[in-house]
Amino acid sequence: METTTLVAGAGSPAPHILVVDDDREIRELLARFLERHGLRVTAVRDAREARRALPHGHFQMIVLDLMLPGETGLDFARWLRSPASNMSHVGLVMLTAMGEETDRIIGLELGADDYMPKPFNPRELLARMRAVLRRAGDTAARASEPATRAWRFGGWTLDPTRRRLLSPDQVEVPVTGGEYDLLVALVERANRVLTRDMLLDLLRGRQAGPFDRAIDVAISRLRRKLEDDGRHAQLIKTVRGGGYVLAAEVERDG
Amino acid sequence: MTLWPRSLGGRTAVVLLASLALVQIAGLTIHALDRIDLLTLAETRDVGVRAMGIYRSVAQAPPAQREQAVHDLDLRDGSTARLQPDPPADELPQTYQPVRRQIAVSMQLVPVPAGQRSRETTMQGGFEDRRVIVGMRFPEGNWLNVMVPMPPIRIWHSMNFLVAFLLMTVAAAALTLWAVRRLIAPVATLARAAEALGRDVNAAPLPEDGPSEIATAAAAFNTMASRIRRFVQDRTFMLTAIGHDLRTPITRLKLRAEFMDDNELRRKMLADLDELEAMVAATLAFGRDVTSDEPVTTVDLTELTRTILDEAADARPELAEKLTYKGPNHLTVHVRPVALKRALTNLIMNAINYASGAQVSMSEPLKGQVTITIEDSGPGIPLAELQRVFQPFHRIETSRNKETGGMGLGLPIARNILRAHGGDVTLGNRPSGGARVTVTLPV
Repeated sequence: METTTLVAGAGSPAPHILVVDDDREIRELLARFLERHGLRVTAVRDAREARRALPHGHFQMIVLDLMLPGETGLDFARWLRSPASNMSHVGLVMLTAMGEETDRIIGLELGADDYMPKPFNPRELLARMRAVLRRAGDTAARASEPATRAWRFGGWTLDPTRRRLLSPDQVEVPVTGGEYDLLVALVERANRVLTRDMLLDLLRGRQAGPFDRAIDVAISRLRRKLEDDGRHAQLIKTVRGGGYVLAAEVERDG
Repeated sequence: MTLWPRSLGGRTAVVLLASLALVQIAGLTIHALDRIDLLTLAETRDVGVRAMGIYRSVAQAPPAQREQAVHDLDLRDGSTARLQPDPPADELPQTYQPVRRQIAVSMQLVPVPAGQRSRETTMQGGFEDRRVIVGMRFPEGNWLNVMVPMPPIRIWHSMNFLVAFLLMTVAAAALTLWAVRRLIAPVATLARAAEALGRDVNAAPLPEDGPSEIATAAAAFNTMASRIRRFVQDRTFMLTAIGHDLRTPITRLKLRAEFMDDNELRRKMLADLDELEAMVAATLAFGRDVTSDEPVTTVDLTELTRTILDEAADARPELAEKLTYKGPNHLTVHVRPVALKRALTNLIMNAINYASGAQVSMSEPLKGQVTITIEDSGPGIPLAELQRVFQPFHRIETSRNKETGGMGLGLPIARNILRAHGGDVTLGNRPSGGARVTVTLPV
């Protein structure tokens, strides 16, 4: 077990991350990279070592490779999210094999907060980790809730594990990544007005690049897809002064 | 020949119905001939017996009173009799020989007092004339000329018979059609199964029951399907293994690059690694697409296409104006959405990379399939390349540059995916210049 601690500046202590990956070099390089960006890192090689490290580190997040020797990453994630672990509040970002859709879906169903396909871009991983850390900070109670399996509003279904939108007659209506994130932000805060700035803030975690005008574009595309006539929009309403609100009862399946 | 149907069921039905018609015609003919024989026999006997009956009645009287006997005859069947010195005049044609013989035979059956038998007999007329005139000479020398009506033979005497025959024919035809349909059904099932296998290599096996030939064909089909499945699994396994082995070194390199101090060098190295990753992803996609364990779901094809264009426009806003869609607003298809999106993305991104624009149009569904056309205003595709571009790792020589990138797997992957869905993709050039990609997909 290689442990390196690096406290980033004064004030609040740097978040503590547990990296679980069986490749020694990736483990070391990733630890160095994350530390350089102000995180504390403990790196272990498999689920057994991870279990041993967990009680001592006060970890905020686990970066978990799903392909592990011995106990698989999915089994470990299942245990982690079960009441038995007493660790269900810890953020979880999975590293999945490229193209292994099923691993990703099962992982998200088990309650992982995000995933990165391997080989990943280190900066993108860092951005996602920060987004997960921030969301965990946003709503402290959220972690104790079971993962959302689906949101339903106005007949439509939004399925977060497969990141897809289903029409009232169960036809999948494809959406871009940005549109999906925007819709999630609106659905999670249904019947609350969200200004463009708030939406930008909520989405920045995932979205790279300029997204200012893109919000309006994405809203108009979403309205088209939701068959919500732009001029008399009933689902996603425009609020005077520059904001949007999802006007619908949202049911949440745990 | 338009009467010869295309389907096996239609052909079998035509052959069987034609045979049925032949058998029925033969049956009717035999019945008619038999009936003609029988009626001929009955009527000739009747005529003979009646003529001879009249003769006997008259012959029993003494010769002097025969005129009175003829006069006293009570003939109720329309027959007439005359006592004349001569045989009947040639009023009608001579009776047809076989009929004449039969009448003569039946005349012998009537008992006549000894010595009174007719010494000579003439006969004229027949069925066609509706009567027969028989001349019989008494031993005394004068003639008794008798006319007996002879109705023509009616073959179709009974309405019941015709109705029954018609019902029987219709019932046999209906049974034939039903049986043909039942017998042919497994062939259609086999065709459907073959098509389903094309869409989904893990399609459920055929039931191996029914007639022995069909069961054998189903078993052979299932064996073939399982061989294809195993082959495809082996290939996927190998490619996945390669991809898995490569992702670790690529990940390491990407991490190492982050520690390089030279920003320009790091940027280039990361770009190279992204390209390498894209190649591995393409190879994996090429190995996987057909075997993908992605389930088939119902997807709005229109929105799938527009989403691809929207994503391209987001990535390159300067081209947004040149990315257009024309066609129906909603069109539901049963596909593997991730795979199909990859196929259409490859085709649309080709147009964007080579021609900086793509005009996508979609047809209304016609004869169970929808056509998507992707057109651009670029240089087009040389004729010699139209087929070759679908070969894996083949690239048009002039396109080997950084901007267009790629490994020459985009089109083969797109075609594999589309064919696995029961569709296809073809390339061509527009008359006005630029390439045209035509995609068909069953709906």
